[in-house]
Amino acid sequence: METIKTIIKEHITYRDQIFMLAKSDLIKTYRGAALGWAWAVVKPMVTLFVFWFAFTIGLRAGKPIAGYPYFLWLVAGMLPWFYMQELITGGAGCIRKYSHLVTKMRFPISIIPTYFNISHLFTHLILLGITIVLFMLFGHLPDIYYLQIPLYMLMMVAFFTVWSLLSGLLSAISKDFQNLVAAFSTAIFWMSGILYDVDKIRHGWVRLILKFNPVTVISSGYRKTFIYKQWFFEDKVELCCYMTTLIVFTLFALWAYRKLRKEIPDVL
Amino acid sequence: MSDAVVVKFDNVTKLYKLYKSDKARFKGLFSKKVPYKENRAVNGLSFEVHRGESVALFGRNGAGKSTILKMVTGVAFPTEGEIFVDGKVSALLELGAGFDAESTGRENIRFKCSLMGMSESEIAEVEDDIIAFADIGDYIDQPLRSYSSGMKARLGFAISVNAQPDILIVDEALSVGDRNFQQKCKKKVGEIMSDEDVTLLFVTHSLQTAKDFCKRGIVLERGKKLFDGDIDEAIEFYNSSH
Repeated sequence: METIKTIIKEHITYRDQIFMLAKSDLIKTYRGAALGWAWAVVKPMVTLFVFWFAFTIGLRAGKPIAGYPYFLWLVAGMLPWFYMQELITGGAGCIRKYSHLVTKMRFPISIIPTYFNISHLFTHLILLGITIVLFMLFGHLPDIYYLQIPLYMLMMVAFFTVWSLLSGLLSAISKDFQNLVAAFSTAIFWMSGILYDVDKIRHGWVRLILKFNPVTVISSGYRKTFIYKQWFFEDKVELCCYMTTLIVFTLFALWAYRKLRKEIPDVL
Repeated sequence: MSDAVVVKFDNVTKLYKLYKSDKARFKGLFSKKVPYKENRAVNGLSFEVHRGESVALFGRNGAGKSTILKMVTGVAFPTEGEIFVDGKVSALLELGAGFDAESTGRENIRFKCSLMGMSESEIAEVEDDIIAFADIGDYIDQPLRSYSSGMKARLGFAISVNAQPDILIVDEALSVGDRNFQQKCKKKVGEIMSDEDVTLLFVTHSLQTAKDFCKRGIVLERGKKLFDGDIDEAIEFYNSSH
């Protein structure tokens, strides 16, 4: 409880700096490259093309789903993944990356995951815009279901801010942990319902376990919006699973923050 | 000098836990059984500094000087005891450290000032002073990675002294740069100190410089206070103790 209060207080004190830091993080990522901002788009495009090629041309899978071309189905589910992918590994490294803020000046560590996520959210918003345009080009105009996008976005940012705090703290203590996360990044991609529909898995218990994975919930949330046209409250089990995971991770993150806040500057 | 206490250490101890490896440290998170050695950098230290005072800290390497300054800055936290600090602290801990290499000098100025809690208008006010003081010409709009170490140090010093601190912390910083810049720094610190409300905490191995700026000296050894008093006596004590 005490720790939550500390974190909230730190965020209120540093509210202006959060956005400044997010901006500078964003600028830093894309400056110095000739194409600059285009890189934010190019990387996802290449990934999408590779998967589309592998599945449609290579494996000759990729039949239309719910009346939408396979490519669009892929885009809808991959869109949040690009954010989540950056945050799984990037989040684990965020406190190390900004160690100069921790060791050289007075600065609360809990702020780092927050602005790190906000900065990546901007890139996500750009990709979201492109996705909506893409759907329009295919003749699918925005409808009422698009209203739930901000909710899924919030769920995504909330979970990954907590994740960044927890994994960032642990990685700051031990580089092993950071390597561990990097090693599991690909596994998470294939074990989450990004390239397949979790609801189509035959074993009920596998289905249920996968729903405790926020990556699955969020990715399928974007598909519900863009493809299946379902509301977020239709699958209550899924929401409960997400909340459970979020709460468990939050408790771990608070524990880590309480324990490590004062030790991190000595270690980094 | 007024009666208000701006820095207060009350029986402060700082322990560094030394594990055999990062792996052991990670394990130590979950179990208390993992063995580690303790380094008592600061040991049961108490002192008070009043507003407007200028205090020099003496001691050999490992006496705990830097740890004390870090704790005043708020970068490190005490293991036991209480620390009270009142006012905006500007620290010259390691010049040039804490900068962002990809951002330009100007951006780094805004960045650092903002993190010190200054508002937009306050930053705009001091920005020109900082640039003039750093005196690095057109480099101010270049990314910091193209700077020489001397230029970084100059920029760091310029920010710290121009940020209108209540408490200025200087750790060996005056020994960087060429003679010209050193003179300029000393002059600037002297100027700041002429303001009666600014408090100075100073660490140096140059006894002469300490004498120039400080009226009070604290001699430390292995995290303990051996002497606290007039600067001349402190220097005498320090000299006779080794």
